[in-house]
Amino acid sequence: MAASRLITIAKKEFFDHIRSRKFLLIFGILLVVAIVGMISGIADYNKNVDDYNKHQSTIDSPLSSYMAEKPSILSVFSAVATYLVFVGGILGIAMGFDLVSKEKESKSLKILLSHPVYRDEVINGKALGGIAAVGCALLVVLVIALATLLVYGIVPDGNELVLIMIFGFVSFLLIFSYFAVALFLSTALDESGSALIYTMIIFIALSALVPTLATNTVAEFVIGSQPELPQELVDQMQQSANSSEVAGVTVTFANKGNNGAWDAFNEKMQAYWEKRQMVHDTLALFSPTMNYESVTAAITKQYSSSGMVVGASGSTSIVSSFTVDSRVDAGIDGILASITANLIALLLFPAVFFGLAYLWFMRLDVR
Amino acid sequence: MIQLEHLTKEYNGVRAVDDLTASIPDGEIFGLLGPNGAGKSTTILMLVGLIEPTEGRCLINGLDVARDPITVRKQIGYMPEDVGFYPTLTAAENLTYFGRLYGMDSQILTGKIAGLLERVGLDGVTKQVGGYSKGMRQRLGLAKALLNDPSVIILDEPTANLDPQGVADYRRIIREVAGHGTTVVVSSHILEEISKVSTSVGILSAGRLVAQGSWQDLAGGLADQSAAQITIRVETLNPMPAFSHPDLVSVEYERDRCEAVIIARTDIRDAVASTLAGQGIRLRGLSREGLSLEETFLSYYQVAG
Repeated sequence: MAASRLITIAKKEFFDHIRSRKFLLIFGILLVVAIVGMISGIADYNKNVDDYNKHQSTIDSPLSSYMAEKPSILSVFSAVATYLVFVGGILGIAMGFDLVSKEKESKSLKILLSHPVYRDEVINGKALGGIAAVGCALLVVLVIALATLLVYGIVPDGNELVLIMIFGFVSFLLIFSYFAVALFLSTALDESGSALIYTMIIFIALSALVPTLATNTVAEFVIGSQPELPQELVDQMQQSANSSEVAGVTVTFANKGNNGAWDAFNEKMQAYWEKRQMVHDTLALFSPTMNYESVTAAITKQYSSSGMVVGASGSTSIVSSFTVDSRVDAGIDGILASITANLIALLLFPAVFFGLAYLWFMRLDVR
Repeated sequence: MIQLEHLTKEYNGVRAVDDLTASIPDGEIFGLLGPNGAGKSTTILMLVGLIEPTEGRCLINGLDVARDPITVRKQIGYMPEDVGFYPTLTAAENLTYFGRLYGMDSQILTGKIAGLLERVGLDGVTKQVGGYSKGMRQRLGLAKALLNDPSVIILDEPTANLDPQGVADYRRIIREVAGHGTTVVVSSHILEEISKVSTSVGILSAGRLVAQGSWQDLAGGLADQSAAQITIRVETLNPMPAFSHPDLVSVEYERDRCEAVIIARTDIRDAVASTLAGQGIRLRGLSREGLSLEETFLSYYQVAG
């Protein structure tokens, strides 16, 4: 493969992207939502910092232990992630759906391949041009996001900057994932319209259908329904409810005399939710959207009070007080450890689809 | 020099090109002639290296197209039938892109592109190619085929969308480049087009090369065995003539006269006259009229098929 030919093709593709109206339009939307997201995130962050300071000043308050950790600057990016998960996906699709099919339709592919270029140089050049355009778009978004932070007087430290870079990288992987799907379908299908429709179907399936299935249907199907409370404990609860006369007093069932039954039930529930979490996490690996939400949630530290991860769109949350506390260590190492599987999945997903596009293109019948 | 050695291409078990062997010397304008579906475009695609032969090989300047496609493509200029360019780029931008793929220097390219666009009549056209007519795209296609100063130019149906001026320009350019030693392969189903520019011709029918040679030899050879229309006019229908020749095309009766037409490759007028005389039938006329060149080639395809 000659680097000069690869670069020639990649350069042309890059400029085609950044000059195209659809790219500029979606990039414009991305910029707007990023700025809006940043501003709303900064407002929330400032409020949380005020609350934190208040709680710190009243150290004897029962709530001080609830908010022991200072709010992270990264939380500002959670709103950006919420928008980016959709707009980024659409941007990736818009960039890739007609990359090869348009050349088939305009008959320029035949003339291009009659030049002294190998087919792998063409498909790699197209991917490289797309990657460069996505990279540039995200770089601009990140620079504007950082500038917005600085304008509001928020200065991230070194660790936070690294996490912001990781946020940018996973955002890039998300966009590239859907770009790769679109590129594959653009290679496999002859018409751009068909490629767009099928890519959108996959996008919707991976963004909405898989999360729903992972959270509910498949989990229920694979591990069965939630264990029911034994009748003796139900009776006990009713009995204790009837006997609880003092308002405002928290009654714990465990101290009502049947610890063994409660412990057994708790263990069952714990095991059930652990399995359910495992099924959910496994299925989530197949969806770039879910992986992205998991990673950005870990980075931006969006945890519910019960210690559950809340996805950017809320779709990945598992509602259970029995979930193991997944609050990760505040350090970068801890965050990276918690998102390794998602990161690998986010790298593998576009690699698989780009591999398919590559193989298909190498065997493409040019007539 | 182009050599096709037992070139065969099958699509799903159907032979689009069948054991094609031919040789085209340098500086020749070779016309690949044949009806639609004869295998011309498939042959061209194998020559350019866009599809691989099922059997056999193509050699261009001694290089196997399938084994050394990059080196071969540096030496050829190709214009497909439906020539396509990048619609959002101008003609010069399209040519610059393709020129860079040939590894051409930017400064050389700029001057060369200006010259080529002037040569094909597109100088001064600055709009994007998306706004071009088919004829303009074909002119640009010709400019692109000449971009790398190729030693072999391959053109598939090059005049399909050109206006008369465009056709004249195209023929002039093709003769000029061939005059400088460039080998040109022109594929077309239009006999007139091939006859006007080519110095040698190969006739494809149902994937097989049924004839190859210089234009004069081939046309002369065909003329010798070419079909002619023999018209027989009979004076009266008493006695009723019985026409039973295998190449009988039509018999028309009008009042007490009749006229029969036979398309025959040999002059059968004497035989017809004596047969009818033997039946006691009086002839009013017996004429033989040669077919046009196009009709002759059509007849050739039919015989070959």
